[in-house]
Parts: sequence; structure tokens; C-alpha cells
Amino acid sequence: MADDDLDRILAEEQEIVPSAGFVRSVMKAVEREAATPSAIPFPWKWALPGMAGDILALGWAFVLAVQLLHGSMGVQAGPVATPPVITKLVESVRMTGAGWIALSLVLSLASVKLSSRLAA
Amino acid sequence: MSAAQDQADVAKVLGGDLAAFEGIVKRWQGPLVNLAYRFGRDRGRAEEMAQEALLRAYRRLDRWRGEAAFSTWLFALATNLYCSELRRIPARTVALDQVAEPREPRRTDAAFEEAERESLVRNAVLALPAKYRETVILFYFHDMDIAAAAQSLGLPEGTVKARLFRGREILRSKLAGRLAAPLERKEA
Repeated sequence: MADDDLDRILAEEQEIVPSAGFVRSVMKAVEREAATPSAIPFPWKWALPGMAGDILALGWAFVLAVQLLHGSMGVQAGPVATPPVITKLVESVRMTGAGWIALSLVLSLASVKLSSRLAA
Repeated sequence: MSAAQDQADVAKVLGGDLAAFEGIVKRWQGPLVNLAYRFGRDRGRAEEMAQEALLRAYRRLDRWRGEAAFSTWLFALATNLYCSELRRIPARTVALDQVAEPREPRRTDAAFEEAERESLVRNAVLALPAKYRETVILFYFHDMDIAAAAQSLGLPEGTVKARLFRGREILRSKLAGRLAAPLERKEA
């Protein structure tokens, strides 16, 4: 088949006319869209300091878990020079279960990010 | 199509005059529905896809900076939407080998034969692999303008030329056996 033949057939496309209600239907959809309030943005400004603290607590919880594991396996852990403020912080994290709260917050954030990516 | 009208309507819509978008819809409904129709040969779906393209254009109107013509921006947006829609839910196509041959080809009249040839060619285009199909459709939609097709597809002209060449090659090889006979009969 020659290119001319292909060109002739494919270039001579019959035009279709949109249905009578097309413009109205599009405008209705646009008006609906305009009337829908825009999505509330995630409050990063407020969430970031809390999340940073959570990540820190999670990190310490992990360190503690590793130390406990080493201790239970009978491995002699070397002296760890931990500042007293951090020790108190870690202790309060352990007492209040903040590690679990941090973990649940991180999981919530991950699920929010995933769902907004899927919605987009 | 008036570029100045498009620009004025876009400014009005961005300024809060929603009714001005109707001018854009009225000017571009035909081209957008026709482009969508070429992708799937389904009128109902073509209108749905064109409506979605116009809605998406409304949502992203503030992203049109005026560097390219409004039509270029709109066709690129619509092409992107149509291609992803058809990759998600492909158009119903009949494999070329399954298109029935007329039982007695010699008795068919010229008009029927021509209509059959056109149908075969269009089915063959829809059966092409996506990247060649999209290029072939856009090339002929833009009156065989490679630059315009490249802009709509967001690809370099060289890539479009190469895909067009390969797409036509596939079409020629698939249609050769089926379309040679009617041509020869006509010439005889």
C-alpha cells in the first residue's frame, strides 16, 4: 500500500459534531467544580516540629531496643556516653509510650501520603 | 479560532468570571471531541473524554503562561488525558485478521469497496502499538504537521518522525495483502 493511499484515507476523516447538550454539560461540571471548596492543605507548619520530635523518639526507642537485645544475648555493651538530658528524655519516652505514638503518627502520615497520591 | 479571544476568556475566568469559560468550550468542543473520537471510534466515550479534558483545562487554567498558543497547551493536555485513558481502558478494536472478507469480492460496488478499505485502514491504526497509534492519529489530526503533533505529544520532532515512519511501515505490511487486490481489480 502506498503512502499516498494511507495519507488520503487517514487525512479524509469525517468530522463529527458534538451533541447539542455538550456545552451545557461541560459548563455544569465546571460550575460544580467551582462550587466545591478546595481541599484543606496539610498543616505542615504545625506538624513538622511534632514529627521531628517523634522521629527522634523513635530513633531512641530503636537504640534502646538494640541495647536491650544485646544485653539479653549476654554481649557486654561498652560504656555509652549519653547526656543526662537525653537519658531523662528516653526515660520519659519509655514511661509514656511515646515511641508507639510516634510510630502510629508515622504510619498515619504514610497512609495520608499514599491516599493523596492515589487520589491524584 | 481566535488566539486573542482565548487569551481574553482565560483572563476573565481567572478573574472570577466563570461564564467566560463557555466561550472556550464553544470554540474548542469540536476539535476536542473529534480528536477523542479518532482515538477510540466511540462517540459517547469521545464526548466524555473531551468533557474531562475541558474540566482539567479549567482546573489548570492558571498554569497556562501564554508562552505557547492556548490551542497548543489545550491539545497537549487533551492528548495526555486521551492517551492515558485509552491505556487504562483500551478502545474495542478488531484484530486485522478477524475482519471478514467479502464472500464474493467481484460483486461489490466501488463505494462499498472504498468504505471497506477505509474501515480496514482505521481498524489497523487502532490496532497499532500505543506509541505508534498516538503518533499516527495526532499527525493526521494536525493535517500532517509534524511540529504540531510533536507539541501535542510533548515529544521531540525527531521521535515523532521515527514513530511515524515505523507506524506507517507496520500499517503497510499489515494492509498490503488485503488492499492490493481491490486496487488491482480497479486497474484491470
